[in-house]
Amino acid sequence: MFKIRENSAAHWVLRVVGLALVIGFVVYIPTQSETARVGQFADAYVLIIAGLALNLVFGFTGQISIGHSAFFGVGAYATAILVKDHGWSPGYTLYAGAAIAFVLGALVALPALRIKGIYLALVTLAVAVLFPTLVRWKKLEWLTDGSRGIDSVRYDEIPTWPLIGELKGREGRAVFAYWLAFVVLFVVYLVCRGIVKSRAGRALVAIRDNETAAAVMGVNLAATKTIVFGISAALCALAGSLSTLRSGVATPDGQYVTLLGSIIFLLIVVVGGAGTLMGPIVGGLAYVWLDNTTRDAGASGDGIIGWLFGWSDQSPATLILAIALIVLMFVAPSGLVGLIRRLARKVVLVVPTPIGAGATTGSGVVTAEAVPSSPN
Amino acid sequence: MERFLQYVFDGLSSGAIYALLALGLVVIYRGTGHLNFAQGEMAMFSTYLVWELQDRWMPLWLATIFGVILGFALGAVIEVFLIRPVNRKSPAAVFVVSIGLFLGLNSLAASIWGAVPAEVMPNLFPSAPDDFVRILGAVWRWKSIGILLVALLLTAALFTLFQKTRFGLAMRAVASNPESAKLVGVGVGTVLMASWGLAGAMGALSGTLVAGNNGEVVPGLMFSVFIYASAAATLGGFDSPGGAVIAGLSIGVVENLAAGYQPDWIGQELRLAVALVIIFVVLLFKPSGLFGSARVERV
Repeated sequence: MFKIRENSAAHWVLRVVGLALVIGFVVYIPTQSETARVGQFADAYVLIIAGLALNLVFGFTGQISIGHSAFFGVGAYATAILVKDHGWSPGYTLYAGAAIAFVLGALVALPALRIKGIYLALVTLAVAVLFPTLVRWKKLEWLTDGSRGIDSVRYDEIPTWPLIGELKGREGRAVFAYWLAFVVLFVVYLVCRGIVKSRAGRALVAIRDNETAAAVMGVNLAATKTIVFGISAALCALAGSLSTLRSGVATPDGQYVTLLGSIIFLLIVVVGGAGTLMGPIVGGLAYVWLDNTTRDAGASGDGIIGWLFGWSDQSPATLILAIALIVLMFVAPSGLVGLIRRLARKVVLVVPTPIGAGATTGSGVVTAEAVPSSPN
Repeated sequence: MERFLQYVFDGLSSGAIYALLALGLVVIYRGTGHLNFAQGEMAMFSTYLVWELQDRWMPLWLATIFGVILGFALGAVIEVFLIRPVNRKSPAAVFVVSIGLFLGLNSLAASIWGAVPAEVMPNLFPSAPDDFVRILGAVWRWKSIGILLVALLLTAALFTLFQKTRFGLAMRAVASNPESAKLVGVGVGTVLMASWGLAGAMGALSGTLVAGNNGEVVPGLMFSVFIYASAAATLGGFDSPGGAVIAGLSIGVVENLAAGYQPDWIGQELRLAVALVIIFVVLLFKPSGLFGSARVERV
């Protein structure tokens, strides 16, 4: 085991190498992989955005929400309707969807001011189930096109971005969707990081750990909960808009618009590690990888998955995920990130600078961030 | 008037099913303070077992009895092996496990029995088109009367269990304070296991009734029923079995009246929305429900 001092040269080398690996990976995918793989990663980024959004509410503030699929749906439909019926340029619809979702999220948070735990889970459950029902409602068909949904929502021609260059055809669309998702993901990550590492973030964690104590310490519970719910909803709507732009359709029974979507977001957060910034990223990648692998293996009956689940003609993906979720709660309740950190600490330990020893003021909590691959 | 009575009666029989599942939610909540998100899926799974039994070996009524026993076992096993160990870690973990169960049981059922085509399920009660009596002009089907009777009988049985037996006393003791209950010699573990078992058994019964009523078993069988049941438990108060039944019946009646008299605005599509709005409004204004007791939190 190596012990390195925080902010020492070795620590910086680790950080730079980690960052370089991440950048290399992000650039490698769209330039070197086949189109299907690029698409999978674009989908993964969209899911990660939703996971990061839910993590703000669930992981950091401790409020259970299974209603985020509705906010995802708001984004998806805002983009579809604005592009199709009002001729907006797709890029701007992201802001519109996020703004609408912010207001709705803050409204949903109103009961959250009085209730928590299972009761809040119920309210959000109601929201999640209500959304597809309303979309299908006859009286709203003029807006949402009912059960048929809205299709062929896309950029008329693929915009040309600096660095990426001109893109053409089906392949080009996938690559553009990838970069668009990545840019939004990056911004969402920065927003979440900004919130979590600030005074506001400490207020959120205080609410999660003990609401009454937080109020006594001067945290404005009502305002904090409402705003964080709104922000989370808005970020989730971005994911929805992106998914519509990627697939070109918005339907009331789309995978992430129904309650199942909320469950998948929750799964990503919990599997990755609730209450950590890296959690949803790890969880989202793990989910998409597992989903694709098990689908293939289940279909062909190959390998251990084929042997275990080959007796059924259904895709074993959901079943495996459900089992993984339960098993993970037993072996690693802090998720994959917690597991990775525990393992990484056996190899490299970053020791905070003793107070007064150096020019920089190190804080004791930094040991928890000794993940070599995290770009700090 | 005839129409009104008809809606009320149809509402009562669908409400009775919501009440049955809501009772399961209440039994678990009273024991542990958790919302069992997988209640509906546990019921659906037991219903498939009932279907399998009656399809291969035995008449439906016997299969239902076996199904109820299997439902009890399923609930008890889940409590002992999945819920109890994670409950020591954190209450949020229990919620996550119940989400995992929801997903797992649903996809397991879909894997074993297949989502399409649906399995054809016979009804426990006479359900031919002419099996009905007319009271004040409204059609009262035997199968609906049967469901209503089962719900009322079960409520009475549960009430007796809670209020008149030693075991009921132990359950109430665990609900009000597990530590003190343990100190006076109540087997807390047994009580919790039995609570989940009871909920599973009631789920099996309500699932069989729903499936018989619909004429088929599908993996999504209990999905909307679960939403109605949570609305009923919320409205009645999560710790009040009587409240759950009254609320379940009223929700059934209200959604039928709403859908019947407003076919344009509400109709079949927004029936479920009625239940959701009830959840929202109750939690906003009276979170403890109509018959529940407000929870006092200690710091």
